[in-house]
Amino acid sequence: MKNSLAILAVALAMAPAHAAYPDRPIKLIVPWGAGGDTDVIYRTFQQDFQKRLGGTVVVANVGGASGTKGAKEAKDSPPDGYTIFAVHDSIHSTYYTGVADVNWTDFQPICLVTATPSILTAAPKTPWKDAKAMLADAKAKPGTVTVGATLGSTSHFFPAMVEKAAGVKFKYVSYEGTAARMNALLGSHIDLAESNLTQKGKADAGQMKFLAIATEKRMAEIPNVPTLKELGIDVEYAVNRGLVAPKGTPPDVMAKLGAACAGAATNPAFAEQMKKHGTIVHYLDAKGYTAFLKKNDAVNKQLAKELGLLKR
Amino acid sequence: MYGLLWDAIVNLLQLKYLLPLVIGTVAGVVGGALPGVTITMTVIIVLPFTFGLDPLQGLAAMTGVYVGGSAGGLVTATLLGIPGTPSSVATTFDGFPMAKRGEAGRAMWLGVWSSLFGGLIGGVVLIAATGPLAEVAVAFGPWEFFSLFILALSMVAGLVGRSLLKGFLSGAIGLVVTVLGNDPVMGQPRLTLGIEFLEGGIPFLPVLIGVFAFAQIMGDVERIGRGGTLHESLDRAITLSVSHLKVIGEILSRPLLLLWTSFIGVLIGVLPAIGGSAANMMAYDQAKKLSRHPERFGTGTPEGIVASESANNANVGGSLVTIMAFGIPGDAVTAVMLGALTIHGIQSGPLFISQNTQIAYGIFAAYLLAHPIMALVIALGARLMLRVVTVPKAALFPVVLVLCVVGAYALGNNMSTVYVLLIFGLLGYAMVKVELPLAPLILGVILGDQIETNLIRAIMTDADLWLFLTRPISGGLLAASVASVAFALWQHRRQRGRELPDEEADDF
Repeated sequence: MKNSLAILAVALAMAPAHAAYPDRPIKLIVPWGAGGDTDVIYRTFQQDFQKRLGGTVVVANVGGASGTKGAKEAKDSPPDGYTIFAVHDSIHSTYYTGVADVNWTDFQPICLVTATPSILTAAPKTPWKDAKAMLADAKAKPGTVTVGATLGSTSHFFPAMVEKAAGVKFKYVSYEGTAARMNALLGSHIDLAESNLTQKGKADAGQMKFLAIATEKRMAEIPNVPTLKELGIDVEYAVNRGLVAPKGTPPDVMAKLGAACAGAATNPAFAEQMKKHGTIVHYLDAKGYTAFLKKNDAVNKQLAKELGLLKR
Repeated sequence: MYGLLWDAIVNLLQLKYLLPLVIGTVAGVVGGALPGVTITMTVIIVLPFTFGLDPLQGLAAMTGVYVGGSAGGLVTATLLGIPGTPSSVATTFDGFPMAKRGEAGRAMWLGVWSSLFGGLIGGVVLIAATGPLAEVAVAFGPWEFFSLFILALSMVAGLVGRSLLKGFLSGAIGLVVTVLGNDPVMGQPRLTLGIEFLEGGIPFLPVLIGVFAFAQIMGDVERIGRGGTLHESLDRAITLSVSHLKVIGEILSRPLLLLWTSFIGVLIGVLPAIGGSAANMMAYDQAKKLSRHPERFGTGTPEGIVASESANNANVGGSLVTIMAFGIPGDAVTAVMLGALTIHGIQSGPLFISQNTQIAYGIFAAYLLAHPIMALVIALGARLMLRVVTVPKAALFPVVLVLCVVGAYALGNNMSTVYVLLIFGLLGYAMVKVELPLAPLILGVILGDQIETNLIRAIMTDADLWLFLTRPISGGLLAASVASVAFALWQHRRQRGRELPDEEADDF
């Protein structure tokens, strides 16, 4: 209530003074529920972002169908700069696995904001002391180590890359969404799952085991957790979050959005806040982000193909 | 734990939490007192107003509605002989005769203090049991959850309504509704007929609003104009002044009765989907069976009021246990609260209490604080409430309906949820007409996805289907579902001989 009043007040105040963009609130569609990683990251980001933009930015959670419901809504919105979309890697995977018809090419990239490195995590009741023991076991008994994942999404693709690189075979069980996956891991109903640094508290308490992190170098927060690369598994993986606008958004508007994003993303205070969420700021401008998305898209297509999930 | 609870209570005493709690409690008491407006409807109406609040503020308001509503019904039940909600039906049996004898104050305050004590006993269970039960729930794998949900469905289908077959039919309709939309694992569209509206599936809150508000009000609308008017009974001079010490003494001098009926209330609350409407009747029945003077029941005996009112408030505590530990709504009101949690981005389930400690204890604190607030609200407002309940239903129902539609719209800020409400309102109305119970339908809609998902997870983890029976907890739960169906069959056979008196509409 208070929010919408504030929006109204701002909208009224802005309207006569500036005819230029933005003269009314901008809707930032987050295709996942409130309180999830994406939501938390963008709600933090939005505060500085809207200040630099000189207008109000409202985060709208449009969850459902593996994040594709929000994607569809964003794609069908008028390309006037008043609707922007918080995208992550699942846009590629859900397209290639046939969950939705929306792909990144339906949008114009604004900027890449963050990267959250994935950690291969084991359940507390598993016998393995480290990643090596787990891999040895998985090699000895193919298809018995269970992995919980949102099928066709990032939490499925990451263990699948490990599977391929290490030459082992896992068994996948569908747990949609991070919360369900973490519950199953805590109760040892699955052996392995993808998690990230936000679960550090539970790992420290012995409620789950961080086996290996998919970064190039070890992270300062968890110096004892080896990288997959150290273990001879050539996998780097992170969930990358950026901003895009519907295709056809005017260049001057794109420029304004891009400039505001650059300022907000490179603000040291933002990096500090992101640390708490196990997330690294990884800023790329529109051009760099376009190249990034193109490359990421090809990687995801190849992965979907190798996993036998490719539907296009 | 007690430190946490203390902190939560102190935290809640801040104006920003206390205000929504008080407003919620007032709304609950008034909604509970209004005949034809159930606690479920009240909570549905209050929900959209909490969207803009922070999660704890919103949940404090909802908890207030729940506690206030469970007590508010007694005002009309004792003073006018009309149950304000289905959960105060049994209160009329002895409350109204006592009031007619000229002891209106004693009848009402017996109810209020019993609600308070029953509620606090429920609170003790809530706070003591939720944590341990949540730990048990983490150990629940897909097999156990599947079997638990099956048990919930079979119990509701068996225990609610008069026909087992109709109960199962209603539950099956609910399950079919959950098949519409994308499948929960790979997102393949099912039975969507190419209609985009159906692709996301059917959300349960508008279904619930349609079935429990729209369908029920339509039934009540048909009855407008029949029966006596409230004004006549109001014309009698009512004195509500009473010695509170004496009334409290009357309740506490029957500690076993109070404990036993509160326990029944808690137990029925813990069991999924059987709400306060069953709790007060069962507690009354038990009190009568255990009493040395069963013949006095129905003539204005204090035991009857104590039993009914302690049970329906203790029931609230029990329902909150189930939703907080397992993420299964104990009744329609907690189903709305489950929706509220989701809207505020909080995942209910086994980890709720450990991951959202502050909010979990905030709910405990709100529950405890709501009870004295409720007593205060009734003390100050009972007379005023008697004026409100005489508002003609022809004016009241349209307002409630409009608020329900606005609430449904606010869920997603689009019309599709309103259409869902309309469709399920009509379906629910048709079901009321052919005497199909509504509770199993709602539980089917809520649990259908969960049953399917856990079945799939179990099989993906291990293809061996015998695990459902050989895992001890899962096997035990399945055995319990078979037993509950057998029990229902036996009970229905036994009752076939003697016809039951007219049952009130179920609150869930």
